[in-house]
Amino acid sequence: MSIMQYNGGSVIAMVGKDCVAIASDLRLGSQAMGISSHFEKIFPMTDRVYVGLPGLATDVTTLHHQFRYRLNMYTIKEEREIEPETFAHLVSSTLYEKRFGPYFIEPVIAGLQKTASGDFKPYIAATDLIGCLNFAKDFVVAGTASDKLFGVAEGLWEPDLEPEDLFETIAQTLLNAVDRDAYSGWGAVVYVLTKDKVIKRELKGRMD
Amino acid sequence: MPDGSFSHPQQRQFNPYSDNGGTILAIAGADFTVIAGDTRQSEGYSIQTRYAPKVFRLTDRAVLAVNGFAADGNMFVKKVKQRLEWYRHAHAKDMPLRAIARLIQTMLYAQRFFPYYVYNILGGIEEDGSGAVYSFDPVGSYEREACRAAGAAQSLVQPFLDNQIYFKNQAAAPNQSHPAHLPLPDVLSIVIDSFTSATERHIEVGDGLEIYVVLAKGRSAQGLEGARGIQELSTKSDGDRVFVIRRELKKD
Amino acid sequence: MHAFAERFSTNGAAAELRRAKEILGEDDDVSDVMWGSSGGFGSLVNGVPKFAVPSVPDPTSFLRMHTDDHADPSCRIKIKHGTTTLAFRFKGGVIVAVDSRATAGSYVASGTVKKVIEINPYLLGTMAGGAADCQYWETYLGIQCRLHELRNRERISVAAASKYLSNLVYSYKGMGLSMGTMICGWDKTGPAIFYVDSDGTRLKGDLFSVGSGSTFAYGVLDQGYRWDLTDEEAQELGRRSIYAAGHRDAFSGNTINLYHVKEDGWKFIGNYDISEMHYNGPGGADGYGYDVRVQGRTSANPPPEAAAAQA
Repeated sequence: MSIMQYNGGSVIAMVGKDCVAIASDLRLGSQAMGISSHFEKIFPMTDRVYVGLPGLATDVTTLHHQFRYRLNMYTIKEEREIEPETFAHLVSSTLYEKRFGPYFIEPVIAGLQKTASGDFKPYIAATDLIGCLNFAKDFVVAGTASDKLFGVAEGLWEPDLEPEDLFETIAQTLLNAVDRDAYSGWGAVVYVLTKDKVIKRELKGRMD
Repeated sequence: MPDGSFSHPQQRQFNPYSDNGGTILAIAGADFTVIAGDTRQSEGYSIQTRYAPKVFRLTDRAVLAVNGFAADGNMFVKKVKQRLEWYRHAHAKDMPLRAIARLIQTMLYAQRFFPYYVYNILGGIEEDGSGAVYSFDPVGSYEREACRAAGAAQSLVQPFLDNQIYFKNQAAAPNQSHPAHLPLPDVLSIVIDSFTSATERHIEVGDGLEIYVVLAKGRSAQGLEGARGIQELSTKSDGDRVFVIRRELKKD
Repeated sequence: MHAFAERFSTNGAAAELRRAKEILGEDDDVSDVMWGSSGGFGSLVNGVPKFAVPSVPDPTSFLRMHTDDHADPSCRIKIKHGTTTLAFRFKGGVIVAVDSRATAGSYVASGTVKKVIEINPYLLGTMAGGAADCQYWETYLGIQCRLHELRNRERISVAAASKYLSNLVYSYKGMGLSMGTMICGWDKTGPAIFYVDSDGTRLKGDLFSVGSGSTFAYGVLDQGYRWDLTDEEAQELGRRSIYAAGHRDAFSGNTINLYHVKEDGWKFIGNYDISEMHYNGPGGADGYGYDVRVQGRTSANPPPEAAAAQA
């Protein structure tokens, strides 16, 4: 079995109209055995940048701390908050540093990017475990249920969804995808980012 | 390197299997069944043909979709059709759907130690007039279901179907319940959406789409008339009826 | 007489056909019975069915190479596996409970599998391992049990039925069959359970659990088991044990199928959604789930009276 499936878990991010959403399951397993149903894989880096870290659980924690450290150094040096796109490149270069002994994580980044005119543009990206960036206009997925997430998202997603509709779309996509994946599930959490607030909701999912 | 000499040990392997990609799907309604498959046949990254049917009419009330290794699939369909013809000669009627399902189980299990590499989905109308779908694994375990996707993009399509057909993870409106069966036009649009989605995200799916529709005896063809690219395949007009709808899918 | 002569003649059409078949090595012999309805299981009365075997020196390793996903995860023919099944004997008969999930790798191929096979009104078989192996051979066992009834004017005992199956799978030992099954029923001796697997093991016992989630099920089952359980208590124990396995084991889940075997045969008690059991329980009021039972009162968030006592 692949080490990417050792603990299980999946993350998805979607673009809406002036908003983005990122969601993950809450399972932490040891191969087939479920250990925890409170294992969060999505972390706020700033108020407008969130990162999801599906993959090997030990690296979830390590990378989260690593990113937080590098982000603090950036904020101190630059005296401003990081933009999602910049953060995506920080993620990419951090992962590529370990090109020949990688972290077993495929990060997903979701955020609102400040434009020249002063408003916010939705931004999502995903990378592979060595930091190859994938920018998408619609949605990105990662984790043990990635193929299932692709299928449902491709069927449910549509452009310019309002925050509440985006929430419904990403929640349905995640819940139905993880129910067909043995290594993901055990509850879920959704974040919807808009220009003036972040909505966090925990979902009741199937517990088997 | 096997060079014909006996100077060093040689090993050869017998590998009679290949994977030809593609996806099939079937959904049962109250008095109809829809069975669909794409028409791309591939091996690795190469497309062998853009039109190789995977869905076959067996009788006026049974349609079989076969996915996996095309050579095994075509041979299997040929043998099933032969057995059904023998049955017709012996009994002067078509074999009922549930009997075809059991026949397929025994035919697959007869190859238990040299399996056909095929995933079968049988769809049609049961003797009581209800729509039915039977899905099989390569060695013949089977189950009656309301909907099933199989093949290369099964993991993309099936969770979407769980959501749209079974209404999984959706709460019904207060004092209401989800419908047990969807009307035909809804099912057809879900089938088409499933395949366009699978085509978008899976390299082995695309080129063409064949949707077979089996209608129970006496059911009007309402919801089918005016469908683009439709053709009737039934042998009788007063029994169960079979139609096929052919559509294009993206070819890249 | 003519037909008889033709069968053994060395010339004529039938002989030509026979020779052609020998040369081509046709795998399924087209006999007269194929023309009638006796295709499939109908021809089984003539003895154990024949199976096609690949013409390679070692057919078993050939099959393993192409079907066993433990040895090679990239193999093409995925045999579905992962299961929790249990059966136990008690004062009121036999309880049989199973989950309904089938997985191929990490993909949940089905959540509606019938893992209890109704052999006849007095016999149940459970399914773990190869779905097709269990389904096919337990259906076949059903036929043989019926033939036993017709020949001997009495129902087959659970011991005899299970031994029939065990001898049968033993004759295929090493060929790659995969089954772990419990044959449960009620006969002259009372309630009985036999564990039979494809290695040829056959065990009589009071309590068994088979499958990837069996350890989780045993945990609950052993803790709650008594011989003098009431019917309701026994059914609840079976249901609660499968729930535990469905909850913790990734390869078990979806729904529970519960059966109760009594003197007058088996009865299907019900189908229970495992997630529904977690949140609401069988009565709709008491969920089995840990988080549901503690209702947020954990060490991190103690109930007010406990917090006050600590301070």
